[in-house]
Amino acid sequence: MNEIILLGFIKFLILALVVYWVAIGISLIYRARRNYRLHKIEVTFADLVSRYLFNSVDAPLSIREINASLRQVGIKPGNPNNIQYLIRLLIRTQQSIIGSKNEKLNKLYAQIPPYGESVSKVNSWGWYRKARGIREIYEMNQHQYFDRIFKYRNHRNVYVRREAQIAMVVFRGWESLRFLSYLKRNMTLWQQIKIVEKLYDNYPKPELKWLRKAYKSERSFAKCLLMRIIRKFELHSEIDFILKHLFHPDYNLRETAIYCLGTFAVSSEHMDFIKKNYSKLPNSSQQALLLDYISENSELDVDFYLEQLYGPNEDLILNVAEILWNNGHKEKVQEFYLQQYPKATLNVG
Amino acid sequence: MWDSIEGFFSSGIVFNLTNYFFFLYGLALLSLYFAGVLLASRAIKKTKQKSTFLQVGDIVSATDIPTVTLVAPAYNEGLTIIENVKSLLSIQYPYYEFILVNDGSKDDSLEKLIKEFDLERHDASFITQPIPTATVRYIYRSRNKKYTHLTVIDKNNGGRADALNAGINFANTELVVCTDADCIIEQDALLKMVRPYLEEDEKEIIACGGGIGIANDSIVSNGVLKELKLPKSIVPMVQVVEYIRAFLLGRMAWGEINGLMLVSGAFGMYPRKRVLEVGGFNAKTVGEDLELCIRLRMHMENLKIPYKVVYLPETLCWTEGPPDYSILVKQRDRWARGLWETMSLHKKLFFNPRYRYMGILYYPYWLFFEFGAPLVEFFGLICIIAFGFFGWINWPVAILLFFAVYLLGCLFSTAAIFMYVKSFDHYTKPKQIIELLLAAYLEPFVYHPVIVYGQMLGYYKKIFKIKSGWGTMTRKGFSASGS
Amino acid sequence: MGKVLVIQEDIIIRRILERLVSINNFECKSIRSLNELNIEDQSTNYDFIISDILFEGIAPLEFVAQVQEVLMHKNLLIVTHMGQEKTKKEIFALRGITGFYAVPIDLDEIEAIIQAY
Repeated sequence: MNEIILLGFIKFLILALVVYWVAIGISLIYRARRNYRLHKIEVTFADLVSRYLFNSVDAPLSIREINASLRQVGIKPGNPNNIQYLIRLLIRTQQSIIGSKNEKLNKLYAQIPPYGESVSKVNSWGWYRKARGIREIYEMNQHQYFDRIFKYRNHRNVYVRREAQIAMVVFRGWESLRFLSYLKRNMTLWQQIKIVEKLYDNYPKPELKWLRKAYKSERSFAKCLLMRIIRKFELHSEIDFILKHLFHPDYNLRETAIYCLGTFAVSSEHMDFIKKNYSKLPNSSQQALLLDYISENSELDVDFYLEQLYGPNEDLILNVAEILWNNGHKEKVQEFYLQQYPKATLNVG
Repeated sequence: MWDSIEGFFSSGIVFNLTNYFFFLYGLALLSLYFAGVLLASRAIKKTKQKSTFLQVGDIVSATDIPTVTLVAPAYNEGLTIIENVKSLLSIQYPYYEFILVNDGSKDDSLEKLIKEFDLERHDASFITQPIPTATVRYIYRSRNKKYTHLTVIDKNNGGRADALNAGINFANTELVVCTDADCIIEQDALLKMVRPYLEEDEKEIIACGGGIGIANDSIVSNGVLKELKLPKSIVPMVQVVEYIRAFLLGRMAWGEINGLMLVSGAFGMYPRKRVLEVGGFNAKTVGEDLELCIRLRMHMENLKIPYKVVYLPETLCWTEGPPDYSILVKQRDRWARGLWETMSLHKKLFFNPRYRYMGILYYPYWLFFEFGAPLVEFFGLICIIAFGFFGWINWPVAILLFFAVYLLGCLFSTAAIFMYVKSFDHYTKPKQIIELLLAAYLEPFVYHPVIVYGQMLGYYKKIFKIKSGWGTMTRKGFSASGS
Repeated sequence: MGKVLVIQEDIIIRRILERLVSINNFECKSIRSLNELNIEDQSTNYDFIISDILFEGIAPLEFVAQVQEVLMHKNLLIVTHMGQEKTKKEIFALRGITGFYAVPIDLDEIEAIIQAY
């Protein structure tokens, strides 16, 4: 009985192995063919887009020729995978170029496939397709679909809501800060980075009205986002917002504030404020970072450094000692280290 | 009660208990492997989908991304040190520093580095050392603007863990990556490794690992893997399969349920702040990578901060595996000792509900199925010999059972190879796949017994307190192109 | 006719730059990496080299230094995805760099430089 069961089981395992072998074989063949096809599409697209952007006066490239060439390499309605790949190439190119050539690209995109692919994805149930659809819509500047995307800004899936939030910035610019700061769910670091980048690339002229309205938000991710915007656009007039969070109880807010502060050279009043509150920083790594900033951006304030040298934070002593040592105050460092050892009586004969 | 040893063993209780023990142990292990295949498939699919939204090209041009330091210890690597350093310097990441820690090398490594990279000596007196290490003698920076990202720390010998700690002390970036100087790291490895740190918001990422591949007999030029070939000899070839299985199935599956207890020492990324908080790598164990990961997890549990240890399925680091049995045994002996040391150091985790899943599930798994497996196998071998001697084995059933279990093992390896081939383009030739499959099917006969031997040797040394450290692994080195 | 060398791994950017240069009456050689240069190309004195800095097996700064040492040229323009301020400062510190353009690039600016030559 056991033997019969075991024999049956063995047959099943051998069958499963054979299925895997066949699957491996098919996968190898498919991938080789697919890579070849994708390479061909990429080369053709590169050729077409370059000729279109710098069109020859004698023999200009027409949209009809472009569509025909794309069809020849497999960009057809019945081939969604190829169309998806073309969309990736379109986005990649769009992200690489700004200025008048970018506008020319937008005109091209409106006249070639993908056959309404992106907007149909937005309506799908799965997060992956939905998020991809949103991305394609904003990357290819399809303004007309903004209203369909806007409602996903608080979606439970992080990728869907991230793409929707980025789309808000792409289509509405600085005004979108009105909504972003009051979103329900947390915003990841990458979301913040992407939003700042899109704002910078698409709306380089700051609109401080919207920025200042967003200051009211209590959400810590919103504060981090605003500080990053201030840093990216080098808004010296808004530096108080960063300084306000330099000594915040939240570690991440302090970290972001210290990082963003590094872009600016502050006034002497601001520097005095930083030095006055310096010891309030509870974390020694952050203190070290701020100490570097102070030493690089202000005149040597011996009293301040001596206060730190003789202060309670032992982790910082070497950093402070190095600054004093390298700036002509070796004797003060020596004095500090000497006073650490109690006076010994010398026995001399 | 029993009038002889035979009587004792053939009594129903002992015989049945033994049988049930092996049966249940095997069943539990198979169930875990099966669950692992399902979880790993899901994890790989999710990782691939997520990467659509955060590609390498997006990260390389971004600002505000975390700063990273790569720390690599080096000991007596004078032959290949220049090439290795140039290779590691070529990693593409905008905010990247590289620290090479010369751990008291007795050869001319340092002199070669000073000459090649135009290094200038700096005093190490003012370097803060949150983690105590062996004395740092000097710090070297290059005068040449081409090498602004390179720092060489020259210190007294203290071992790999100690050297890593010295590098971590000196680093001033948010993240640190620990590797070995002779590993070949993919150019975009850091761009990929940093993804989890950029995307996670609910849980803090405390460690991130990438897949490690075996590149024996591959063509390497200027520290770059030009052509990946399968190793020629059986020992490293089976390791290719073993690594694929371990990383693609094992690590991805555990990562999916946040149960990863190990990020490989050959290539792991950590937030520097957390590593300093736990005191860095433990220099007293040879399993410092496993020990650090467990300690980081315990630290976050104590702080009651949600955290994650993640793994990327892609092979981002290539290394040279032991080329023959004797070096393989040394390696597995060391791993077994490291595992023993770590399990004892953290025995308070065992079924400790205070540490939640780590105490109730993950640590017991490591204890029973990673630490315990060679012991169970060895015990099983003894039982087969003993029962066979006493004539208690139903040989037809035993042979069929053996064959069934063997085929199950082959199936798991085949599944891993299939997932690897489907997801990545490292091995694309039919001949390579056939060789990999054959290596997988030969593994139980020509490789696995040697592994068990190496592990038992490690345990033997721990039981009888035989001192043994890292040992020396003689490396052949990768072949250069054209030679 | 002036000579320009374009070194870019990305085929789309490479073709676009190649086209930009050709339409402005320059002879263009475009390659994916320095390995593709033959002896004749290596001894040409280029009016412009338009290059990325991200290539396999070589650090960005070392690549730029190598180009400056190995290839004769009058102007070196860097066009790269890794265009952060930090990188820009480090590249310019090497000296001999005519321009640094972070992707996304304004092709009109590059064209203006080529045309002004």
